[in-house]
Amino acid sequence: MHPALRTLGERFARYLASRWNEPVELEAIEQIPGGASRETYRVRVRSAEGPSSLILRRDPKTSLIDTERALEYRTYAAVHPTSIPVPEALILEEDPAHLDRPFSVMREIPDCETSVAGLAEPGRSALRETLGRNKWTLLGQLAALDPEALGVTEFMKAPEHPAARELAYWSSVVREDSVHPQPIAEAAIRWLERHLPPPSGRVCLVHGDFRTGNFLYDADGEIRGVLDWEMAHLGDPLEDLAWSLDPLWAWPERTLAGGLLPREDAIRIWEQASGFTVDRRAFRWWQVFASLKGLAIWISSTEDFLNGETKEPILAMAGWVMTDRQNRILVDRLNPEGDHRYTEPLV
Amino acid sequence: MIPRPPQGLADLAVKLATAVAPETCSRFAEASTGMISMLLLALAQDMERAVAVRMEDIDELKVLFGDVPAEAGVDSQARTAFLDARPASLRLSDVEALHAEGLALLIDLHRWAEQADAGLDERIWAFLVRHSERHRLDLPAL
Repeated sequence: MHPALRTLGERFARYLASRWNEPVELEAIEQIPGGASRETYRVRVRSAEGPSSLILRRDPKTSLIDTERALEYRTYAAVHPTSIPVPEALILEEDPAHLDRPFSVMREIPDCETSVAGLAEPGRSALRETLGRNKWTLLGQLAALDPEALGVTEFMKAPEHPAARELAYWSSVVREDSVHPQPIAEAAIRWLERHLPPPSGRVCLVHGDFRTGNFLYDADGEIRGVLDWEMAHLGDPLEDLAWSLDPLWAWPERTLAGGLLPREDAIRIWEQASGFTVDRRAFRWWQVFASLKGLAIWISSTEDFLNGETKEPILAMAGWVMTDRQNRILVDRLNPEGDHRYTEPLV
Repeated sequence: MIPRPPQGLADLAVKLATAVAPETCSRFAEASTGMISMLLLALAQDMERAVAVRMEDIDELKVLFGDVPAEAGVDSQARTAFLDARPASLRLSDVEALHAEGLALLIDLHRWAEQADAGLDERIWAFLVRHSERHRLDLPAL
């Protein structure tokens, strides 16, 4: 174990001992790859109650996404009692004195994985389909939840015009964080402004980053935990659906949404689970928006990598490789003469 | 010194991914090493072409700006300066600076063309297709 990692684990164990008012011993700690918005660690500790497997999520020095940790934590707590599986939120500590930066703690969901890379292999199509069915069923169920009953309206503001609010926010990210002119992003912003759909009247809890890779699943294809709620907000349910179907999440695969299911199957499953019918005209807008939002995040990570304190390779990957792909997706979506090399035709 | 930098970077990337990453002592280190390997591959691709593709963009932008009428929504002084400009040198930073000037002007021109000149709008999209394709990175799945 790296000495710095051991030191962090021991400090965390002392924090738990103080909080739980009993001796706590560190047994193991490892950093989990992939988390770009938080440093994520799997920690095993032992107390008088026995062993505990915990997930520690600490604010990074620089983040891919500027997010509100308290909002994320409260969202986990609100969603936990519902049919949407999420890790149990245990502690939110905003005092940086304990581990240098604020952090939260969740109970680990064991024996699961997030990567679907191996599911493309022959012989695993049944598992892939099961997982896809479960993924878009859960996303539909999320859209159907009543935000008032969930309690999220206590800390999330319902927008009058969800599409306008999201576009304003992500356009500002593009303009504030670009380190080089972005003619494709700017063309997308203008297109979205010209085609802004009226509010659908449906406001739900939007996960904000519901995509392949952001959930834990087991060997049977059951989704055991939906992760990474840091961009959760109240908004239009089509936002999550469009984001989940962006071609980037299946790259370079073009026929299976999220590398799991044909796109139209995913939409049909979502409609059944949510009880909503997709308005194809509005959905077209949300599809273009999803690609712009992705590009805004990658542009922001470029800025973070170049000017921020941490030099995590994931920021450079996002800022360069993802920007390249998302630019090609957007050109393909918006070019009137586009040949849909990377995307499906918008309907 | 590596006499052929793109090839050298690509070879180092493969070495990192196949010989170093599997020997790391944590999944986090292995994943980070894999990403660094991918970025080295991207650098290898871009190093070879970086100046050339930006110069192609600049040359095509000059053709676009040379065709547009005076009333197009582009600062005429900036447009004239761009049309007459050459990079201060062929160092990437100098080429990049002129490239950025051209793309900034393109944003203004495109905004105007969308409203006033369908043919120009079409030519700008054709440019953006070529632009995004010539900057594309071809990398293996991570």
